[in-house]
Amino acid sequence: MSIGLSPELASREEDEGLFSRDLDGQLVRMDKVTAEDLKRDVTIKIDGRSVTVKKAVPATDSQGGYLKDENNKIIPRATTIYDAACALFATGTLRLTKEMIEQGITENPIPILCHQSHMDPVAVCRMCVVEISKVKRGKMQAERKLLPACQHRVEETMEIATMATSEKVRKTVGTITELLMADHPSPCVKQTQTGDCELEALARQFNVPAPRFSRREPKPKDDSSLVIAVDHDACILCDRCVRACNDIRDNQVIGRAGKGFTSKIAFDLDDPMGNSSCVACGECMISCPTGALTNKAVVASKPWEGLSPPAERIHAEELIRHPIPEIRRSFRGATPAFLRWNEGSIVRRRFRKGEIMCREGEFGSTAFLIETGNVDIYLNSAMEHATSSGKGGILGLFKKFTVDHVLRKDTRGDASNEGRHITIDAPVTLDFARPTARLGPGDIFGEMTCMNSYPRSATVRASEDTVVLEFMRNVLYIMQRNKTFRASLEKKYRERAIANHLRSVPIFAPIRENPAQFEQFVNTLRDTVRLTRADPGDVIFNQGDRADDGFYLVRTGFVKVSQRRPGGDHVLNYVGPGGYFGEVALMGDVPEIQAIAPAGLRTATCSALDHVDLVQITVADFRDLLAQFPQIREPMVREAVRRLQEDLKSRERTEGVPLGEFLSQGLMNANSLLVLDLNKCTRCDECTKACSDTHGGVTRLIREGLRFDKFLVASSCRSCLDPYCLVGCPTGAIGRKGSVEILIDPNTCIGCGRCAENCPYGNINMHPFETNERVPDPERPGRSMAVYKQKATACDLCHHVGGDPSCVYACPHDAAHRMTGRELIDLVERRNS
Amino acid sequence: MIQQELHAIQKVHGYLPVDELKKLSTRLNVPLHRIHEVASCFPHYRLTPPPAVEFKVCRDMACHLKGAPEYVRSLKAMASELGGGQVEIGGVSCLGQCDGAVAVMVGHRFYRNKSIAECRSLLRDALANRTAATSPGDTHAQAPATHSPGRSTRPTSRATGWRIDPYEGREEYSAARRFVAGDNVAALLEALKIGELRGMGGAGVPAHQKWSDVRQARGERKFIVVNGDESEPGTFKDRELLLKTPHLVLEGVILAGLLTGAERGYVYIRHEYEPQIVAMKEAIDRAERMGVCGENALGTGRDFPIEVYVSPGGYICGEQSALIEAMEDRRAEPRNKPPLLETNGLYDKPTLVSNVETFAWAPAIYYKGGEWYRDLGVNGGKGARFLSISGDVAKPGVYEVPIGLPLGELIGKHAGGMLNGRRLKAVATSGPSAGFLPPMLPLEDLPRAARERLKDQPYLNLLDVPLDLQAFRDLGLMLGAGLVVYGEDTDMVDQAVNATEFFRNESCGKCVPCRVGCQKLVVIGQDLQNGRYDATGLAPVEDMVGDLRSAMEQASICGLGMVGANPLGTVVRHFRDDMTAYVRSTFRPATQAGIRTVEVPR
Repeated sequence: MSIGLSPELASREEDEGLFSRDLDGQLVRMDKVTAEDLKRDVTIKIDGRSVTVKKAVPATDSQGGYLKDENNKIIPRATTIYDAACALFATGTLRLTKEMIEQGITENPIPILCHQSHMDPVAVCRMCVVEISKVKRGKMQAERKLLPACQHRVEETMEIATMATSEKVRKTVGTITELLMADHPSPCVKQTQTGDCELEALARQFNVPAPRFSRREPKPKDDSSLVIAVDHDACILCDRCVRACNDIRDNQVIGRAGKGFTSKIAFDLDDPMGNSSCVACGECMISCPTGALTNKAVVASKPWEGLSPPAERIHAEELIRHPIPEIRRSFRGATPAFLRWNEGSIVRRRFRKGEIMCREGEFGSTAFLIETGNVDIYLNSAMEHATSSGKGGILGLFKKFTVDHVLRKDTRGDASNEGRHITIDAPVTLDFARPTARLGPGDIFGEMTCMNSYPRSATVRASEDTVVLEFMRNVLYIMQRNKTFRASLEKKYRERAIANHLRSVPIFAPIRENPAQFEQFVNTLRDTVRLTRADPGDVIFNQGDRADDGFYLVRTGFVKVSQRRPGGDHVLNYVGPGGYFGEVALMGDVPEIQAIAPAGLRTATCSALDHVDLVQITVADFRDLLAQFPQIREPMVREAVRRLQEDLKSRERTEGVPLGEFLSQGLMNANSLLVLDLNKCTRCDECTKACSDTHGGVTRLIREGLRFDKFLVASSCRSCLDPYCLVGCPTGAIGRKGSVEILIDPNTCIGCGRCAENCPYGNINMHPFETNERVPDPERPGRSMAVYKQKATACDLCHHVGGDPSCVYACPHDAAHRMTGRELIDLVERRNS
Repeated sequence: MIQQELHAIQKVHGYLPVDELKKLSTRLNVPLHRIHEVASCFPHYRLTPPPAVEFKVCRDMACHLKGAPEYVRSLKAMASELGGGQVEIGGVSCLGQCDGAVAVMVGHRFYRNKSIAECRSLLRDALANRTAATSPGDTHAQAPATHSPGRSTRPTSRATGWRIDPYEGREEYSAARRFVAGDNVAALLEALKIGELRGMGGAGVPAHQKWSDVRQARGERKFIVVNGDESEPGTFKDRELLLKTPHLVLEGVILAGLLTGAERGYVYIRHEYEPQIVAMKEAIDRAERMGVCGENALGTGRDFPIEVYVSPGGYICGEQSALIEAMEDRRAEPRNKPPLLETNGLYDKPTLVSNVETFAWAPAIYYKGGEWYRDLGVNGGKGARFLSISGDVAKPGVYEVPIGLPLGELIGKHAGGMLNGRRLKAVATSGPSAGFLPPMLPLEDLPRAARERLKDQPYLNLLDVPLDLQAFRDLGLMLGAGLVVYGEDTDMVDQAVNATEFFRNESCGKCVPCRVGCQKLVVIGQDLQNGRYDATGLAPVEDMVGDLRSAMEQASICGLGMVGANPLGTVVRHFRDDMTAYVRSTFRPATQAGIRTVEVPR
């Protein structure tokens, strides 16, 4: 009991702890941290070493993207003791190098088990408990209990003793580990499969001897899922799968059931996993620290068949222990369990010198990481232009390279081609005159095609014999979860791509005329720009917001610029790679702009159309640039005025077309709509019959759907530019196979229904198919019957029969047509004018 | 809404059918796993159809001491003979009827002080009728016979003779009326401060401090919650207060509401306390009719509704942050602290959660003055309080005693002395939470300050210790509201294993030290009882219990885990001969075993 306190306060302390009251003895409300706290310093000591951290840090999603509130402001979260320890020490999984040890860096002495940096802390395993003291009433006083570092906020004057310095912590954490190990089926399935059971690793690290406590009754296994094995006996109720399922993926399947020592994780109403609403996304499995949720590895995915050069299988182990440090680091974000689960999603391919690895304009869904060798990355069309003295023209290039060149051409302005650069899907940008760049070992390319399923933005050719790792979106998604990986991509961008990227922005053309000045310009921005990322639908800023966030350049993806107008939102523009936005509101001091736009306020809403990478230049930097480089000020103003006037014009243009409706129905995203002209269609249903005949009696279109003007957009796959359906397929059965249509491989489809759920337009249907498996027929003893399994089906544009889609071909009235969203809007526009 | 909906479904179907839960999920737009999380966490909810006859035997502390395990064995044997699978016999966590041990529950009905033979005939009757609801259950020892669930004809005036009731049973609400008549915030806080009223739920937080904290906490909306989840074995005082003086509890809530500016009050009562729930609901109805709560409460122009919240059960709901979690439709799992409920409580709003008795004392203290309450105490203690006492005493029950009364007087005078003149072997001073203390406590177990004060004595005589929270804390001991007394022939290992089983069963399972630690402690105790250890094994047992006690105390989230190892820990420390009995396989009464017992003067 504390000395020198009145008995009343002393007894009060029992309950409330050191940090509950302020200096006046008032209870401190645990308020949410504020934006100011992002700037406020807090200094604490951990094992005697001082560390200064911000009181709050931006809350992030699982991919490191900042979370924003409804007003589009960064949401701060309180900095925890564990965060501070991570800032002070190397992270637990990092192997220390000699230099790091010389610099005094040691391993983080706070172990974690239930906590993961991309999840909200729950502080249930108590592995991270520490001793906390704090100055109170002028004296350093210790908390009575140990408290969890993963969840406890940092406070000024705090002193922390971890297991490195406190015998009490060491003993307590040792006992907790021993308790968990007593019931743990060691080695568990995870340890056997991939050798990375986190609990067993901690037990080894703490030298926990064979547990003295006897083991509980083993808990049952649940083998009902086709892809994930559940072993309740290895479950330590860390809540990681629960948060993975509900918070990270929002699948809302896993919860904790029961109470006390009988509690367990449960699916839906404690159904077997295979009978529950689980979509087998695998997030729980990769989140599980032990062998409670493991990969059954029964699904043989064959998306790599028939490739040349052939795809070689690569084992997870090989990636984890890859001899090239950069590659090893790239896979750090992916746990061995994840890599094993996704072994089919990563392959090695060996290209001979001169072989093309991917071609500009092709649809693809993979990214590449170079192991050995070098590649040249270039644009075919641009090469033509370079070799044929400017012929072919810029439109030819962008036709293949962008998705809606018509709408976005004005982002290019009228700058000449000379000295222009082209942003591509790799950590370099290409010089327009010599559109070739070289990448080497450890470099990654094809990221944007992989994430967004866009056509390849450039062609890549092996400039010598080259070995690459090629992988699918699910792997890249998890790789991006790792801070180190993200940081290394950023570093590469800053080192290699920023100069060319800035050079490619037409508005900066006047600076690049003076190489010395341009270098200074690049150096000013190199370290101060922020690289941010937005997911589809994320608002970057809203119309009417104060413009305090800055000016944006687009690296990859597309940003939609829209304005609120009577009758709904109107899209003004799409800004793609190489474009910029956000400058108008930062130039409120310019008289010409003042006259037509509100000073300091955003004149339009900018939001991400797909996965977008942005370069954000702060307001201060932007203003400095204008002051420092007066030659860009004038064209910048001119361009801004032009854009504002364009807005007014577009207002008139779009008034004839219900553009809002068009957008809200997602038609902009469509590559291939089945459009029925209702003036011609007699509802004879020949299209449906034709589809059914072509696809073994199961129709893939329904002659119903959204009405748009005088047209019916039938329920049939639209081959979207950004197909949501591809996200989360656990086996990679659905994808683009080098073409525009979305194909579902019936051999690898496990019938999880995830794609059907993801399709916003209801165009993927689940149908039972007969399988080779047979079971005894309950109604006819002695006979067997076929097992039917659900598989996903979608329009494949009659891929397998070649030629026109049957629906269009079969229409006797010329009412059925396939067209892009853009073509449909043009059609409507023409009709109305 | 989930909790209320589950209550409603169970009322209709007798359990929670899967189809109904699926419909509920659609109706509330809440995922299935969220519903299952709640439905599977509380003992009140059944996920399977109930049997025709449900017969439950209280298995904790006093009931265990009086042979509950034997009841279960005997009844199970009988059920398998006669039941035809239509009867379910099982233990149940403390029913709050420790003064009527062994207590059993058939369907919704309590029966107290039943012998095995009586229980067998109860079971026979129930089986004959295939339902337990037809025969009237026992009434509480001190409860009027008019109380049966669902129907009550409670008179508006019934004197208890307790000092807590300044109105001698009349529902006057004079204290609240007086508060409204003038601006009496300072006076009320001052009275609570002078009276040194402490929270009666266990933590003993000074009431004036807590009330003023909630008053000063920032926030437009605030709440008052009465913690009537009384589920600690050996504790049943709130049962009596809720039943006999619901108007005092309500007036305390009204005073707290007026003081803090709260917008609503809740009386959270465990679901087994059906007569208490009825009494409280009726008292609220009457109070609303009198205009002291509800719309325009006491003419203040503000509404202050008070409602009963029926707990879906579980000891852990008594942990106040778990109680709030349950009210927010989540699993009853304690929160990590800070923050405290006073600032971040129900729906993250400032919330005053206090024990039933704390609220019930407030009107008298305000009405009669802080000095009046303070002077009720003796031997340096301040005030008075209600204690429940059970076990091997002649008159188990609830007693209103001055704070500072020596423990020996509570046992010897109020509780009528030891049952059948036995000698005293051990006292549990806070249900199972403080473990079991011998009457002669070795000085080396006390904090240094206390050791120095008592250095002339060989032992601390527990019977001399005043029943005063501060006096106990100064000695490094815990005092709760329920005391259980054990006679010389008690097997303390058996009691400790039983108490540990209680903690294991009632642990919410959220944090590792408590969830796994309690289970391991039970196994250690059972292994000892089953002769798994020989004499050389006792030292490792002591080590294991010691390590678990320290890890659980240091690292558990809430109080349950922190005290979960105390029963075995104290028995290992003080009743070693009872442990070695299992090694020798012969149990010796305390006198032969060299364990100090005392005679309690009557």
